[in-house]
Amino acid sequence: MGQLIAITVFGLIALGFGATVFRTSSMVRSALALLGSMVAIGLMFLTLEAEFLGVLQIMMMAGEMTIMAIFMVMYMMDPGGLGQMDMSHQKRFSKAAGVVAFLAAAAMILLVDWGDTVDEVPAPDVQVHNLGLELMGRSLLIFEAAGTSILVAMIAATAVAIARRE
Amino acid sequence: MSVLWSAIFLMGGAYVIAVLESWFMTSRFRWLAPVAGLGELAKEPVIPRLSDRVFYESAPLILLTVPLLGFAVLPLTPGVIVTDLATGALFLNAALAYVLVALVMAGWGSHGAYAMVAGWRFLGQFVGYGMLVVMPIAAVAMRAQSLSTTEIVRSQEALWNAVFQPMGLLVFLPATMALGFMPPIDLPVAPGELAGGVSGEYTGPRLTIFRLGRLVLVVTLATAVTVFFLGGWLGPVLPAIAWTSIKVTGVVALMLAAGRYVPRLREEQVLMWSWKFGIPVALANIFWVGVILLAV
Repeated sequence: MGQLIAITVFGLIALGFGATVFRTSSMVRSALALLGSMVAIGLMFLTLEAEFLGVLQIMMMAGEMTIMAIFMVMYMMDPGGLGQMDMSHQKRFSKAAGVVAFLAAAAMILLVDWGDTVDEVPAPDVQVHNLGLELMGRSLLIFEAAGTSILVAMIAATAVAIARRE
Repeated sequence: MSVLWSAIFLMGGAYVIAVLESWFMTSRFRWLAPVAGLGELAKEPVIPRLSDRVFYESAPLILLTVPLLGFAVLPLTPGVIVTDLATGALFLNAALAYVLVALVMAGWGSHGAYAMVAGWRFLGQFVGYGMLVVMPIAAVAMRAQSLSTTEIVRSQEALWNAVFQPMGLLVFLPATMALGFMPPIDLPVAPGELAGGVSGEYTGPRLTIFRLGRLVLVVTLATAVTVFFLGGWLGPVLPAIAWTSIKVTGVVALMLAAGRYVPRLREEQVLMWSWKFGIPVALANIFWVGVILLAV
């Protein structure tokens, strides 16, 4: 029961921050509101006793959302949101797309057969151990491929960013 | 009981660091320097016009909360630890990552050019040395075969990690100093260059909380160095808590001495050392530990 209440509260917090992302005109507020939403999701993981995933989610998002904030500040004309600039457009299309996406996600949640639930959650150290074996076993190729492509993208981006010597 | 002992250790540590810092900075030893610093509480708080109040008010509180959370997973003696998480080492990383969020919030929320530059500068540096905090901890966890900080200390009973994997300590110590914005890597606050940087627009009680948060952060970082590399509470004759205290004080003194005798690094020097020297050394360290663990 306590678990259910906690996960509802964190879920509502995540939704609230998610709404704030679109309600504010300040780019930094927007990015950090998204961070708040992600942290709330991390807390939901922790409530569900997925300790490693929860802590990892909370850790990774801090750096990523802050880096996103500086890119948003760099690219937007009015990053502070002080100039009363209207940044929304294509409102009717966005509303329709939002409704369709929500219905699709809801249908997926209800229609997919999620299998049986586990009666007993493994202890946190067992979870870490199992995750490690998974990463080094079945999922090894996926992670290696993802890592290598990110590395290639980083090298390419650096190469593009360096000014050409005359 | 653990909470009480940890709180006493934190307060004592913050006091000792404040005294040592004032001693190293001014060359005058004053027992009451931290108490004199509390005078800031009585000063008039000035709030910048057009500041982002949500960020401005919450940033010092986050900076104080985050190291407290990180400290909660660090053992002072075999029994004294607020919470011995199975993912303790990862949790500490997660907590420390929010120092970045707090400083960027303080920089942006202050509505001042220097503060904003300082906040983004901290972000730029953090991308460079963030991995230098994470990767040595990964190598330490490899040896302990556990992310629990208590297990990490126990794994050093035969040999401290400082000797077992010196390359890890070599990059971890400067990285923690940069994370706690201590001289010579104190660019985000850089007195004399950025007019106080992220904390430049803070006055009165908010500045006191900001400074207290940083002191607690330094205690947490020094304790982390002790736990991960200097064998935590391990040592002969003296009781466990004495060894932890001695080691933490030694680490802090080393950090402050570096601030006193090494000139402040420029922004691009910090980045160059982080990326071109730190990352390869940290990777070599992981390789070294892996080879030893497999071969020996």
